[in-house]
Amino acid sequence: MSLFINLTLNGITNGMIFAAVALGLVFIWRATHIVNFSQGSMAMFTTYIAVTLLDRHINYWLVFAAALVAGLVMGGVIEVVLIRPLRGKHALNPVIVTLGLFILLEGLAGSIFGVGNRSFPPAFSQAGLTFGHSTIAFSHFDLFILAAVVILMLGTLVLFRATNMGLRMRAAAFAPEVARLLGVRVGRILTLGWALAAVAGSLAGLLVAPTVSFSPNFMDLILVYAFTAAVVGGLDSPVGALVGGLVTGLSLSYVGGYLGSSLEPLGALAILMVVLSARPEGIFSRPAPRRV
Amino acid sequence: MLDVEDLSVSYGAVQALQGVTFQAREGTVTAVLGANGAGKTTLLRTVSGLVKRQSGNVSYGGVELTGLSVENIVRLGISHVPEGRGVIEELTIDENLRLGTLWQFGRQERRSVLDEIYELFPQLAQRKRRMASTLSGGERQMLAIGRALSSKPKLLLLDEPSLGLAPLVTAQIMALIQELARETRLTVVLVEQNVRSALSIAEEAVVINLGRVVIADTAASVAADTELRHLYLGF
Ligand SMILES: Nc1ncnc2c1ncn2[C@@H]1O[C@H](COP(=O)(O)OP(=O)(O)OP(=O)(O)O)[C@@H](O)[C@H]1O
Ligand SMILES: [Mg+2]
Repeated sequence: MSLFINLTLNGITNGMIFAAVALGLVFIWRATHIVNFSQGSMAMFTTYIAVTLLDRHINYWLVFAAALVAGLVMGGVIEVVLIRPLRGKHALNPVIVTLGLFILLEGLAGSIFGVGNRSFPPAFSQAGLTFGHSTIAFSHFDLFILAAVVILMLGTLVLFRATNMGLRMRAAAFAPEVARLLGVRVGRILTLGWALAAVAGSLAGLLVAPTVSFSPNFMDLILVYAFTAAVVGGLDSPVGALVGGLVTGLSLSYVGGYLGSSLEPLGALAILMVVLSARPEGIFSRPAPRRV
Repeated sequence: MLDVEDLSVSYGAVQALQGVTFQAREGTVTAVLGANGAGKTTLLRTVSGLVKRQSGNVSYGGVELTGLSVENIVRLGISHVPEGRGVIEELTIDENLRLGTLWQFGRQERRSVLDEIYELFPQLAQRKRRMASTLSGGERQMLAIGRALSSKPKLLLLDEPSLGLAPLVTAQIMALIQELARETRLTVVLVEQNVRSALSIAEEAVVINLGRVVIADTAASVAADTELRHLYLGF
């Protein structure tokens, strides 16, 4: 029983991280209909920026904020410099560019920051909380992960639902041409989509890094799981990203705990296969809109 | 005044417009007529910047439009209701309307502009928070026109507003267009297949065939030209 509880807690924590990365994928998919294979390496890069700043003894939370801002800038610049020039060309071109970027960023990180393993100090204690005599697999730091991702999700929800910028973003995603005819500067909205995606990714990077001994490829497997989560959620729904993240996190945690951790990637593949064959548009995606 | 001069547009090998010249005067309705594939939609899309011209000029109020982005053309007071209406189904009615106001109005002004639109279309006022996908064809057309008006345009480009509407609804919409032109000095370029309705409210008419202007004259003389009507307008 306690194994089950611990696996569940572990699954929820991991799921929240997958959800944050998946949210980044959703932002970019909604804005530009591109699957961003560099989502993980962008996050890795800002995490390295953060750890470099920490080496210089700069305040932890200042560094945290700086990494998020670095993500914002990086996402925006990548959209403007690499993705925008490809607009209107074959849909596969930008996806290939994101693959190239994935390789470039990992290579670059290796040569700038070194390929050796690094460690990242956690913001809060990583010791499991104790209740009476028993210790559970859930720490103050896990609580922080939960809170951070919940804030990210709520922020996204408020942005999309309650602000004029969110209205512009939704319009640009659903009907870019009509949005332009109504004066929405769609190009800027797409840049913003990439920038926000990179912020979500950066946050995930900062939350993962303290839990692992990391090197430039530390986000690779997480991107695969986040992609699974995003597909489960339907790629275009922020709520879907959250639920998809939790479903993926929990499933993989159970698979790893009961069947062996080497089977986790296979578990992700199984989830992808089941979702793609049963409900290819994802669980939370809108049904194909009726065009009149 | 909208001034289109010697405008040519092509889609690769397809020459959609060739040497099109006409004017639309302030406060008037100019009907653009012609068979399927004549180039009417292309004409409107070129004016609003969605399609790049091959040669020729388009200017509005003395400002050259060619070379400006769609978003900046909108900011000159030009509103385009695209063919098929362009209602965004995934948004509510209120959100659709608000979208047209975002680039220029503050909160207060936006509210009063939207109130005016709701006054004009009471059917929409009752369902502000409903998704636009729940509207009927006629209601969608009202939403599309209302949304175009919500930016307080000086020039309104309408692409087949009567498409798929019952005669009674078409008549209502035509009457509204005429009233707007008369009372608010709105300039309207009205693309229509519904030739009779369009000619009944237009001052001027331009007939296009295979991308060329066949005639640009007063609506009355176009309506009176039996031979022209038989040849190009099918009645
Ligand atoms: N995106 C496009 N690519 C290639 N050819 C196009 C495109 N859009 C229109 N055309 C062609 O350009 C010509 C003019 O089309 P347009 O849509 O302007 O006609 P229309 O007068 O609006 O017709 P309808 O009354 O059927 O709406 C047609 O021959 C059409 O096939
Ligand atoms: Mg047309």
